[in-house]
Amino acid sequence: MTRLVCPFCGARELGEFEFRKTLPEPGGTPFAQVYERIERPALSVEHWQHVEGCRGWLLVHRNPSTGDVLGTELLGGGPL
Amino acid sequence: MRRHGRVPARAVYARACDESPPNEPLTARRRCRVSGPDPRYSAWSLLRARIAGDGYWRPLWSGRVLADAYDVVVVGAGGHGLATAYHLARDHGVRRVAVLEKRLVGYGNVGRNTTIVRSNYLLPENHYFYEDSLRRWQSLSRDLNYNVMYSPRGVVDLALSDDDWPALARRGNAMRLAGIDAELLDRAGLERFVPELAPRRARRFPVLGGLLQRRGGTVRHDAVAWGYARAASAFGVDIIEDCEVTGVATAAGIASGVETTRGFVRAGRIVFATAGHSGLIGTMLGTPLPIETHLLQAMVTEPIKPLLHTVLVHVFPGHGEAYVCQSDRGGIVMGGHLDGFPSYTREGRWDRLEEVVQGAVDLLPQIAGLRILRQWAGTNDMTMDGSPIIDRLRYDNVFINAGWCYGGFKAIPASGSACATLVATGTAPDLIRAYRLSRFATGHLLDERGGGPFPVRL
Ligand SMILES: Cc1cc2nc3c(=O)[nH]c(=O)nc-3n(C[C@H](O)[C@H](O)[C@H](O)COP(=O)(O)OP(=O)(O)OC[C@H]3O[C@@H](n4cnc5c(N)ncnc54)[C@H](O)[C@@H]3O)c2cc1C
Ligand SMILES: [Zn+2]
Repeated sequence: MTRLVCPFCGARELGEFEFRKTLPEPGGTPFAQVYERIERPALSVEHWQHVEGCRGWLLVHRNPSTGDVLGTELLGGGPL
Repeated sequence: MRRHGRVPARAVYARACDESPPNEPLTARRRCRVSGPDPRYSAWSLLRARIAGDGYWRPLWSGRVLADAYDVVVVGAGGHGLATAYHLARDHGVRRVAVLEKRLVGYGNVGRNTTIVRSNYLLPENHYFYEDSLRRWQSLSRDLNYNVMYSPRGVVDLALSDDDWPALARRGNAMRLAGIDAELLDRAGLERFVPELAPRRARRFPVLGGLLQRRGGTVRHDAVAWGYARAASAFGVDIIEDCEVTGVATAAGIASGVETTRGFVRAGRIVFATAGHSGLIGTMLGTPLPIETHLLQAMVTEPIKPLLHTVLVHVFPGHGEAYVCQSDRGGIVMGGHLDGFPSYTREGRWDRLEEVVQGAVDLLPQIAGLRILRQWAGTNDMTMDGSPIIDRLRYDNVFINAGWCYGGFKAIPASGSACATLVATGTAPDLIRAYRLSRFATGHLLDERGGGPFPVRL
């Protein structure tokens, strides 16, 4: 994994992006939302930010066992 | 306790013979019948080996036969799993213990770390625990009858900016209040202790001073895995490699055993010491853990003559993060910060490798130009406050020993002993009471760096 595709800016080097967190199950308690993480060998659902680009927040689906990126979308829908 | 501290020679020998399965190659079985040499390591055994010639030395551990049932099944033959099994057998007399390992003994982080041991932590819960561990390192070679090469060469945390300095002073003061040795070195003191740091060339960041712990240093990591495996095996622990635990079976509200790639194994108690795979264990048991799995990489250069006699650490963000030491073979060992996102690939990202090398060369310009021989990575079980978890997990007879983040190697002796006490007696010793899982819900976090519930520093 050396690049990520920002839906807004296109394919950019990994170093432009910052990972923030793996998402817990939706709808859990505030405790679960803050502290718990769901780990699956083949699917990780994550928040990233394109800090050195558009600074948009991204929802990224990845396979943490292979490093493959399965999909990237802007968090909260289309471009601002 | 000390009374039991020695590896019973007879036990190693007897088991090696008993346990050869029928399909074992002849040579291995024949060797067992040779009149019994003493496999306890000593000057005497070296001499006897010399006289006896080939076939004198036994395999370090045995236990290729998986039984149907155990009192305790430990999952994961890393440092923590093996040490837990060893202490269960040695201190608590638990006789039927198995360690199930999906790959090989030492394949995980116990064989991938940069071998640094120290107890220079800020928070009392952590520095007392790691101090207990550091004391155990000092006598471990004797206890295990296996040379783990504890080398108290000192660990120096460096201050490269005005902000780093008070942070180090605060940590050092906290340690000294707890009776743990720490010395704050100013620039002159530092250059006296580490003359190698004296700037021969202009340095990008000035070195202002450092926090030294003289008893800190390094321990040969592979020897730790092999030494514990050998000693546990001598006490009758079965070490089963190539056996992955895939599920936990329950009956009447408690766990009854584990599903493995080699079939079902009944277990009175189960301990997960799975380090970088503990997040998946949470998912397997349906109890999400406050753990995210991140890669940490390390690398080593070609061997050179003695250059650096201590361990240099610079871990403050902002101007290069790197720690450097020289292995006994002469290679310069370097590491830095996490790769920064969850991964099980054990590959390591290229730009981090560059950063680590930059940071290391900033500290020691002398090493610029050396060739890197090997680079590797391990999966780290990063908790949301950076401190470990040793507690029950979901069922009354299931335990988890995890959350070792990137610093769990130094914890192995203390963790093994304390975890075994918890598993055998049902009560956590004081030393690890703060490492309970519920601390995240009750707000009693142990966050050394005060960074919030994120393993990755922003
Ligand atoms: C590059 C690097 C440098 C480090 N440097 C240091 C350092 O200088 N000092 C320090 O104190 N710490 C350091 N650490 C951290 C330290 O290595 C780890 O915290 C510690 O080794 C983890 O505990 P362990 O030895 O029990 O883990 P491991 O050796 O990883 O043991 C866990 C075992 O469980 C097995 N397993 C997992 N799931 C299953 C399953 N389902 N069934 C059966 N078996 C399973 C795995 O195969 C593995 O062998 C470093 C780590 C890395 C990666
Ligand atoms: Zn963008």
